[in-house]
Amino acid sequence: MWFRRLLAFFALLVPLVLLAIAAFLVFYAWPAIHYNGLDFLWRDTWNIGNQYANPVQRHGETVMPGAQFGILFLVAGTLGSALIALLFAFPLGLGAALFLSEAVPHRFGHFVSFFVELLAGIPSVVFGLWGIVFLIPFLSHHVFPILARIFHFIPFLARPIGSGYGLLTSSLVLCLMIVPFITATLRDALRSQSTEMREAGISLGATRFEVATRILLPGQKTALAGATMLAFGRALGETMAVLMVSGNALNYLPHNVYSPISTMAAFIVAQLDSALADPTGMAVRSLAEIAVLLLVISLITNGIARFLIGMLKEHTL
Amino acid sequence: MSKLRIHSLVRSPTLAALALAGLCALWPAPSQARTIHLIETGSTLLYPLFNLWVPTYTATHPGIRITTEATGSGTGIAQATANLVQLGASDAYLSPALQHLHPGLLNIPLAISSQMINYNLPGLNNRPLHLSGPVLAAIYAGQIRYWNAPAIRALNPDLPLPHHLILPIHRSDGSGDTFIFTQYLSFSTPAWMKSTGYGTTVSWPSVRGEIGATGNPGMVQALATNPYAIAYIGVSYRSAILKEHLGQAWLKNRAGQFVFLTHANVEAAVASRAPHTPPNQSISLVFAPGANAYPIINYEYVIVKNHQASRHVARAVREFLDWAIAPSGGNAPTFLNRVGFAPLPKLAVLQSQRQIAEIH
Amino acid sequence: MSQATRDLPPRPSSGWIRYRRIKSAIGWFLAGTALVALSVAMVQILLYVFLKGFHSLSPKILVENTVGVGGGLKNAILGTALLSGSAMILSALVGVAAGLYLSEFGEGRLGTLTRFLSDVLVGVPSIVLGFVGYVTLTVWLRWRFSLAAGAITLAVLMLPYIVRSTELALRRVASGIRESAYALGCRDHQVVFKVLLKAAAPGIGTGILLALAISAGETAPLLYTAGWSNYSWSGHLIHEPVAYLTYVIWSFIGEPFHSAHALAYVAAFLITFMILLINLLARFLIASSPHSNR
Repeated sequence: MWFRRLLAFFALLVPLVLLAIAAFLVFYAWPAIHYNGLDFLWRDTWNIGNQYANPVQRHGETVMPGAQFGILFLVAGTLGSALIALLFAFPLGLGAALFLSEAVPHRFGHFVSFFVELLAGIPSVVFGLWGIVFLIPFLSHHVFPILARIFHFIPFLARPIGSGYGLLTSSLVLCLMIVPFITATLRDALRSQSTEMREAGISLGATRFEVATRILLPGQKTALAGATMLAFGRALGETMAVLMVSGNALNYLPHNVYSPISTMAAFIVAQLDSALADPTGMAVRSLAEIAVLLLVISLITNGIARFLIGMLKEHTL
Repeated sequence: MSKLRIHSLVRSPTLAALALAGLCALWPAPSQARTIHLIETGSTLLYPLFNLWVPTYTATHPGIRITTEATGSGTGIAQATANLVQLGASDAYLSPALQHLHPGLLNIPLAISSQMINYNLPGLNNRPLHLSGPVLAAIYAGQIRYWNAPAIRALNPDLPLPHHLILPIHRSDGSGDTFIFTQYLSFSTPAWMKSTGYGTTVSWPSVRGEIGATGNPGMVQALATNPYAIAYIGVSYRSAILKEHLGQAWLKNRAGQFVFLTHANVEAAVASRAPHTPPNQSISLVFAPGANAYPIINYEYVIVKNHQASRHVARAVREFLDWAIAPSGGNAPTFLNRVGFAPLPKLAVLQSQRQIAEIH
Repeated sequence: MSQATRDLPPRPSSGWIRYRRIKSAIGWFLAGTALVALSVAMVQILLYVFLKGFHSLSPKILVENTVGVGGGLKNAILGTALLSGSAMILSALVGVAAGLYLSEFGEGRLGTLTRFLSDVLVGVPSIVLGFVGYVTLTVWLRWRFSLAAGAITLAVLMLPYIVRSTELALRRVASGIRESAYALGCRDHQVVFKVLLKAAAPGIGTGILLALAISAGETAPLLYTAGWSNYSWSGHLIHEPVAYLTYVIWSFIGEPFHSAHALAYVAAFLITFMILLINLLARFLIASSPHSNR
């Protein structure tokens, strides 16, 4: 029995670590949560206040005069970049998985999918480096001008195209980072279906494509939704690559897809430096509030994803 | 968290033994006990200078190791305050609130830096463009929106300025460059002081076409790729500006003269403002009086706690800083010219020495 | 299936069949294009990183420490190995034990909770862990930038991966083996150490290796916990910052110096190469295991 207790103790550590992190963050961010109130999410200014004045008392907290923390621009940047990334990643991942599972010989599919899954292993900073050195010059010189000219009538795609650091660039990089999740999960799910299903479909006169999309795929809807949700969660929390290619916008909403943005995760890295200079500590605590929000978001997205996958069967990713 | 480690080590002997063996194998023999490791972190503007200093200094001082890190002035100040590092580099002096909170914190000037206002006006980058604090403030506040606005034309009657939207570029990370640029705007334009003020990050007014950039390299790149943009960039990046064939503006100083960034004009500003430096050396050199004074210059500070972890560390810090500010040491032109900095004036050297002597 | 039958008309005309064939061909073409686009991007990134890195690579870079934005990467290579290695040891100790519990005795409430929360922990952005590590370990415990602060933060990051992969590997071990071991009178710990761990070793090892690969590529949790050092580690668990490769990539690519860029490229090359190698090793391990096909 002692052995089971020992193992249980270690198993208990996992939830304890997460709960400790959550409890600590909420506790640490509490003055900021109190000071910022509900406006935190809807306000569009992040201003750590006049650092060269004397601290003042406001709403019962000590802050620098003018200090005001609102992260609407971060919410917009985070959701915008993740959603656009998903917009690209979903069809790409779906198409690649279908092709790998149903159109090519099993061996070849296995080999290529391993290759695609390696994409998930490339570190975030390496994506960022590639983004800065290759993708941004390429996009801003060759792709964005053409895109803006063709779609000049669509406000969100029209000029100005900016410096190449921005929403669309971040989304493209994020897309590459999350596609392997969707492809790998869906391919495994498709492959796990019985050969009889395929044979039955073919014998009814359906083409292979029809078998894949109308017989095999509908059964994998929940797996696909779960994988997409996980990928979305990953895109929302991605830090380094976005930090390096987003342009780190401060206090403004993107006015087109080329606008610089910033995301909640990247903002913590980008602003921790300035925030540390705040003698009242409110700026760092407001960053902790962002971390709390990120934690809540990951709880929600993972919760939904696990629920969807759990609905399917007792199958782990 | 430490509990976690201890328990796991105690309770699973086989794995723990393995882990210990692994650690022991990795653990190098405690090397030279007398070696002192100083860590510098902070300002990205001072970083290149530290990187020039450190190899030279450590080559002649074998007992000392110095790690340099470019993080940002805010980190420099905070980590020196928290005793996480010995040397915090900052473009801005300590705020009164911080000094009040941490009485033992010293800000010691090491050199003098300056800032350029650069622009990208196709066809006009080689012609002298004149700008003033109020005009720049109006551009960054969105009140002047086109290059051929009357206020800009009035300063540059001879230039064929285009009717094109001005794209103001500002730093989106916390930055000493933002600090001194917004000081120039604040000191020259009361309206800016009232609405926005100065700081390492400020709440920029929303302007159509504005661009946020990270770090000085990001500023140069954003300016180079965006015609009709304007930016403020640290002097260390002058060679990059020249390489991209971008323009550098003449600025109106407190005396009403338009001056260009030259050694002589920086010296003139230093000569007029530096003598007013108080003993704790917290002073802005921006918008100095004097006919030839260049308006945007500043002390580059190292932030040090006066009480260090040990006597040996304190001595190492003192010796290094004394060398750094000596005209024959770190303030020699061989170092400063490569990053475009100016040496400290005599009075500032004396004051810095006095502050350095307080480190114990 | 019934849906498919419903969609097909009872007597297909040849025009209808041709229409469906063309539609299918277009569908495969689009799916294939998606795969090609992905593969091209993947190959492009890898080639770019490898060529750039290989171009700047020299023996000097591997054996010298960093000096400012020049010199070599010896300190960072050793630091990355040290940080990820110590994190792996810490994390594997806890993670394998927790995975054992989940697989063998984890049907109850604690099991369900642990499973769910460890899945949530996987999704927590790494910067959140870094932020907490900074405020608690670096500042509050006064460990400063150090191996201990960095390794513990990384270990937390790796933990859920190891827990779940261990559980999965153990569940693949046929229950007959367990039952026979218990029938022979084995106690819990004997079953675990003598039977289960041996049978599931390749799977567990794969999980640990994959977690190691993830941790080696991380940057955000280390920025404010491990710090950065121009020198190789000298043996202090706390109070001494540690260099690591991903820092070089992030920080040096922003510097306007050629030598800095060269170091960033080499660092990217080395870390990508290392991670791909670990991934390949993990695949090899699982493929060579006798239980790979259940």
